Amino acid sequence: MSSLSTQMAAVTRRDLERERRTGEVLWITIPFGAIALILVPMAVGADVPLLRQIGPGLYWVVVMLFGVLIAVRRTSMETPAQRDLLALLGIDPAAVFGGRAMASGLMLLVFELIVGAVAVLFYDIDLSGWPWLLLVLPLAAAGLAALGTIAGSIATNATVGPALIPLIVAPLAVPLLLAASEIVEGLRTDTGILRWLLLMVIVDLVLCIAGVVTARPLQETQ
Amino acid sequence: MTDASSDAKTLRWLDLAAAGALLVALGFALFSPPDVIQGDLTRMMYIHVPTILVAYGAFAVTTVATIGYLITKSLKWDTIAASSAEVGVVFLGLAIATGMIWGKPVWGVWWTWDARLTTTAIMFFIYLGYLGLRRSIPDPVARAQRSAILGIVAVVQIPIVHFSVQWWNALHQAPTILRPGDPQIDSPLLGALLVGLFAFAIVYVWLLVRRVQLANLDAELEARDAAPDVPMAGEAVSAPDLSDGGAVS
Repeated sequence: MSSLSTQMAAVTRRDLERERRTGEVLWITIPFGAIALILVPMAVGADVPLLRQIGPGLYWVVVMLFGVLIAVRRTSMETPAQRDLLALLGIDPAAVFGGRAMASGLMLLVFELIVGAVAVLFYDIDLSGWPWLLLVLPLAAAGLAALGTIAGSIATNATVGPALIPLIVAPLAVPLLLAASEIVEGLRTDTGILRWLLLMVIVDLVLCIAGVVTARPLQETQ
Repeated sequence: MTDASSDAKTLRWLDLAAAGALLVALGFALFSPPDVIQGDLTRMMYIHVPTILVAYGAFAVTTVATIGYLITKSLKWDTIAASSAEVGVVFLGLAIATGMIWGKPVWGVWWTWDARLTTTAIMFFIYLGYLGLRRSIPDPVARAQRSAILGIVAVVQIPIVHFSVQWWNALHQAPTILRPGDPQIDSPLLGALLVGLFAFAIVYVWLLVRRVQLANLDAELEARDAAPDVPMAGEAVSAPDLSDGGAVS
C-alpha cells in the first residue's frame, strides 16, 4: 500500500491530467471570469477613479464566485463507477480529499493570476505591497479549494447536485472573501493586515481538518 | 389512557400555551412605556430581538441534535436537527424582516451593510443551503450523514454573527442584554422583552414538536410507499407451467 502522500499526488495528477485534456478551467472558466470583470464597467460606468476603487473587491468577488465552478467541477464530471474504483483500489479517502483539493487549489491559483492580470489592466488597480499577494493568493485558493471539495462530496448524487453547491460554498467562503479584500485594502492604505492573514490561515486550517476528518464518512454515503 | 391520546392532549396544551404566551407578549409589547429616544418604534424590538435569539437557539439545537446523530446514528436526532433548522430559518427570516422595518425609520434605509446584518443574512443562506441539501438527497441515512457534516461546519458562523459587531465596530448597536456587565435597558422595557422572548421560545418549541411529528408521518408514508403490503393488481396472475411441454390433460 502506497503512502498517503503518494496516493494524494496520484489523485492530484489525475485531476490535472483531466484538466489538461478537457481544458475546462483554462478555456472556459477563466475567460468567463475575465468577461465578468469586463462587463462591470459597462454596468456601472467607465469612471476610472471609481473602477480603481472597486476593482480589488470585484476581483475577489469574481474569484470567489467563479472559483466555486473550478472547485466543484469534479462533482459534475465524476461518475459513480470512478468513485467505486478509487474505493476498491484502497485509496485512503483523506488522500482523495487532499489530492482533489490540491488539484483544485493549483487550478484556482492559475485562475487568480490570469483574472488578476485582467483586473489590473482594466481597473488600474494599485499594486502596493504586491509581494504579500504571493501569500494571499495561495491561501485564498487553498481555502476555496478545500471548501469546494467538501461541498462537492456532500452534494454527490444529490438530485440537484451541482446547482446546489454554489449555495453551500458561497456563504461559507465569506471569511476568505473578507480577509482577502481587507488585506488588499490594508496594503493600499498601509494599515495592519496581520489579523486578516491570520484569519485566512485559521479558515484554511479548519477547512483542511474538516475535509480530512469527514472524508471517510462522506465516502461511505456515496 | 393510551400513549397516543396522552400525546395528543399534551400537544393540545402546547398549542394553547403558544397562543396564550403570544397574546400576553403582545399585550406587554403594546402597553410597555415607549423609549425616550425612539418612541413607539422601539416596540419592534419585542419581536426582532426574541426572534433572532430564538433563531440562534434553534440552530444550537440543530447542532446538539446533529452531534447526537453522529454519536448514536439514530435518525430521530436527525429529524430533530432538520426540524429545528427549518423553524430557525423561519425565525431568522422574521428577524431580518422586522430588523429592516425597524431600520428604515431609525437609520433611514431598509438595509445597511453593517457587519452583523450582513453576516446574519449570510447565515440565513447557509441554513437555506442546509435545507436545500436535505431536500435533494432521497436516502435517509446519506441525507442525515451529509447534512450533519454541513450542519457542524455551518454552526461555526453563529458566534461570528453575534460578536462581529464588536470585531468590526459597525453601525448596528452593540449587544444590549447579552453584554459584559449590566444590561443597558430600563426595567419595564427589559421585562416586556423577556416576556416576548419567553413567548417566542414557547412558539419555537410548539413549531418544533409539530414539525417533528410531521416529519415522522412523512417517514412512515415513505416507508409504506417503499414496501407496499397491499396486493398489487395482477399479482395473482402467474406464468403457466410449461415443464411438461404445455400438454393439456
